[in-house]
Amino acid sequence: MSEGLKLVRGYPEYMLESIELVAKSRARRLEEGPPKGMSLEERERILQYHPDYAPGGKRPLVVGPNKGDIAPNEVADLLEAYPLVEPDEIELTVDIDVEILILGGGLAGTMAALWANEAGIPPEGILLATKLRHGDSNSIMAQGGTQAADKPYDSPVIHFLDVMGGGHFANKPDVVRALVEDAPFIIKWLSEMGALFDRDENGDFVELWGGGTSRPRMHAARDYTGMEELRVIRDEFRNRGIGLLEFCPAVELLTDPEGQVCGALLWNMETDEYKVVRAKAVVLATGGFGRLHIRGFPTTNHYGATADGLVLAYRAGAVLRDLDTVQYHPTGAAYPQQIVGLLITEKVRGLGAQVVNRDGEAFVYPLEPRDVEAAAIIRECYEREKCVITPTGLRGVWLDSPMIEEIHGKGTIEKRLPAMFRMYKRFGIDMRKDPILVFPTLHYQNGGVETDPQGRTNVPGLFVAGEVTGGVHGKNRLMGNSTLDCLVFGRRAGLAAAEYAKGREFPREVTLDHVRRFIEELKQAGIPRERRSPMLLPDYRGKRVLARMIDVLR
Amino acid sequence: MGLDIMERIRKANEAVTTGIDDSAVKHWVTIYIMGKAYRVPADITLMQAMEYAGYRFIRGAGCRAGFCGACATVYRTAGDWRLKTALACQTRVEDGMYLVQIPFVPAEKPTYDITQEPTDGTPLLKYFPEIARCVSCNTCTKACPQELEVMDYIQAALRGDIKEVAELSFDCIQCGLCAIRCPAEIVHYHVAQLARRLYGRSLPIPKHLEERLREIEEGKFDEEFAKVMALSKEELEELYRKEQREKGGLLRKGGEGEDE
Amino acid sequence: MGRRVLYFPGCALKQQARALGEAAAEALGILGWELVELPRWNCCGTVYSLASDDLMRHLGPVRNLIRTQELGEKRLVVICSMCYNTLRRSAHFVSEDPERIERINAFMDEEPDYRGEVEVIHLLQFLRDEITFETIEGKVKHPLRGLRVAAYYGCMLLRPRVVGIDDPDAPRIMEDLFLALGAEPVESPYKVECCGAYQVALREELIQERSGEILRAAHRRGAELVVTSCPLCAHNLERARHMDPRGTVPVAYFTQLLAFALGGEGALSLADPTLASILTAKERGG
Repeated sequence: MSEGLKLVRGYPEYMLESIELVAKSRARRLEEGPPKGMSLEERERILQYHPDYAPGGKRPLVVGPNKGDIAPNEVADLLEAYPLVEPDEIELTVDIDVEILILGGGLAGTMAALWANEAGIPPEGILLATKLRHGDSNSIMAQGGTQAADKPYDSPVIHFLDVMGGGHFANKPDVVRALVEDAPFIIKWLSEMGALFDRDENGDFVELWGGGTSRPRMHAARDYTGMEELRVIRDEFRNRGIGLLEFCPAVELLTDPEGQVCGALLWNMETDEYKVVRAKAVVLATGGFGRLHIRGFPTTNHYGATADGLVLAYRAGAVLRDLDTVQYHPTGAAYPQQIVGLLITEKVRGLGAQVVNRDGEAFVYPLEPRDVEAAAIIRECYEREKCVITPTGLRGVWLDSPMIEEIHGKGTIEKRLPAMFRMYKRFGIDMRKDPILVFPTLHYQNGGVETDPQGRTNVPGLFVAGEVTGGVHGKNRLMGNSTLDCLVFGRRAGLAAAEYAKGREFPREVTLDHVRRFIEELKQAGIPRERRSPMLLPDYRGKRVLARMIDVLR
Repeated sequence: MGLDIMERIRKANEAVTTGIDDSAVKHWVTIYIMGKAYRVPADITLMQAMEYAGYRFIRGAGCRAGFCGACATVYRTAGDWRLKTALACQTRVEDGMYLVQIPFVPAEKPTYDITQEPTDGTPLLKYFPEIARCVSCNTCTKACPQELEVMDYIQAALRGDIKEVAELSFDCIQCGLCAIRCPAEIVHYHVAQLARRLYGRSLPIPKHLEERLREIEEGKFDEEFAKVMALSKEELEELYRKEQREKGGLLRKGGEGEDE
Repeated sequence: MGRRVLYFPGCALKQQARALGEAAAEALGILGWELVELPRWNCCGTVYSLASDDLMRHLGPVRNLIRTQELGEKRLVVICSMCYNTLRRSAHFVSEDPERIERINAFMDEEPDYRGEVEVIHLLQFLRDEITFETIEGKVKHPLRGLRVAAYYGCMLLRPRVVGIDDPDAPRIMEDLFLALGAEPVESPYKVECCGAYQVALREELIQERSGEILRAAHRRGAELVVTSCPLCAHNLERARHMDPRGTVPVAYFTQLLAFALGGEGALSLADPTLASILTAKERGG
């Protein structure tokens, strides 16, 4: 591609014509403002362009607690699958005993660990097991911010309404109330831990708009909010000496004869050794599923986002909800090829950049809720065909980032979006001068394991927090509520797990009986034997190599 | 619309969602992974190239977007004796690249109870006395894939200027390349982490936040919540329309928040 | 408005020796000069940078000289004695042999090349040669009449010869400054003896043997105050006094005396309270 194609300012020459049109219409669009937001009826109509609505992407589950409920094919393939391990081949003598076992090392898992400790569980009684490194997660990439209603013009009730509305009113109200009421406390606690949220010259927090919110309430740490929050609490975690096992994903939960969750079977990815961990309570904080590439979309998610927790919980009998909707972030990078799918934070639109088609026309209000925004962009590209086509055949529309410098002054992008500015600079594009090309990308798991306001599931001993949960965001999550979800429910799950564990004895027996039961159900349903889960890691190895691969050392 | 559009989107993205197929490749380059030559497609990232060559990452891949530092890579380019550093997920392959990944840096971290430390720069030399060994050689700055002024922030740390450390080190992704190259064996990112936390703690909690916390504790919103949670789904929907439309929240021009 | 002079603060001036720097800025301000901090300066490495078998350690000092050069300046004023000693000796060392500059420049490929033209001087030299003690005398508001003060040079201002700002055995520069301020200099036998420097960390007895003796000898000669230019000397002297105050006198930086005499505050709030009472007791008219 590179040799035949001349690049000007990072873009192929043929794209310059469209870039010119965008530049030409900028002044007019700055003055006029973007198109008006859609009415609720218009929103309903455009959603038919959303990948969740196109037929063929989902199917009803045929096994498990949610039998009959709709889930995306890729998720169903994993839920309706055989375990990686043969239960009869696992020797279940306990290797490690802990009070609390936490699965997942992102924002939610780390919060759960700290707050279980705050609740009185000693550090050596807590173990956090993670598939990759502590911190490898979607959390660390969160760029936009964390919502909290802490300004006089705002209130937790208004925040509540925003969350319910954005979620199409399918969220669990008591869970949402917990989310929004805890938010101000979370911000204070993080600040006292040393997290650096952006402030104005008076020392008050700078708070931004997000899509679908009726008040500006997003607290940000430049565009590294997730990273800032996570590295602060991770430092605190390390100071307290809480147990940590990296590169040891769980491949099954363990249950006692009564069906209560009492630990997990961990697998050391580097040595192939399995470890039996017995615990009085387990907190599942395993994150999302972007690496399933639902409907073939690229994703913003990290390498390990493969729905492992969903699979494990389902086998243990946990009820899931709202899996029938998947959040596609409206603006993933569409060019250059090297960064396709990567998150272009909503903050870019929050700071004033408009969404503009090939001809330089703004065709949608930039801050609709994400599903609406994504659908509008897909329609513009594939039905109206007013898009730009990249050299590899991807379609996209422009996000007019230079507008940000016009509205807020020169230097705003470098100051407020340093990560993004740096990313584009690495690939030769200056987003202060030229617009960037975007297309929806698979981003967030709206639903998941059903939770209550305390982070409890329907399975005793199993607690959940973060992206793996369902009920917080309904059918669609708003920006800035995902880090909030992790922080609020990570804390609540940690506290609840600690309460549950206190005064409880270890179960006399740990079993994989729930897995055996599940296998029976799979056989009954005729599920093909080759289907196995959890996935653990996606596979991007070249096709040619895979065709020539043999596993010799085993 | 329908299946047709979805199929077109799926096809267009195949190179990114599955392994690369040779038939889609137009141009090739050769890179050397730990000394072994591999022919890989041009115009992809180092990470994608290594996967194309058959490596399935266990270590060395994380967020794949430049935020987590998992894919720190050290390499040379053809004909140049200088060592360079990069993040594999954010760097295009070049013909002749000669590379290795550094997925882990052995760096001790001192433990501290931050609530017991003064919120100024004095804890820095206390927990990291080795920063006094800095010879100002700037090797750390040259190693940083985020182009941060690492030496400058260590110098600021030496002076106890935690605000400056926070400012200069903010975009640090803790990849470890600075620490592994430093002749004084300083672990820069741990120093910076402590400095940032101290600085954050030195800033007072804004009054508006304290005020809101007090209100919540006093139950100011309990009545409103009771009302709103007793609504049916339809009533809630209606209230949402009214609240959003009346206050004009959703239909604003967009941009930064202002106090009303 | 006023004239500007580029200076190198060094780490101590930013932390434990703030009085030295703040008083200097105040005094120079009164004399019509603005002290401009060298931008993006880095730690000079103190004497450890001066290992002659290892050019790497000269990077720190030389980088500061490059910064100076890039501002178009040929002179860098230093206030801390140790930083002065280090920077001046490093400048001299790398310029002595052209190959040294070449190697350092090659390593620091991210910086412009150092051309070897920067002169490093101590603030005392600047006061004596650029501003002149006569001018200073003319601007004194609170002459320190009757104040008997002993200068303590330590090592760094005088040795080795390439850095010496005055005769290494019988220097007079500080005493001449005291006279200009209206004070009475007192000769002390140990004024050019080492305070113990970093050796005190391993051999605690040196504190009283060296620093303690310096103070007691000055006191026996009738001094009310010992004045220095070096944060490390100040630290050791104050420590000796704290451990055993009998027969000792308080310690001050020369810039504090200067600033106070010129009518400023003299950064007294940062110093030993006895210093304030001594200086204000000597206040005469104004």
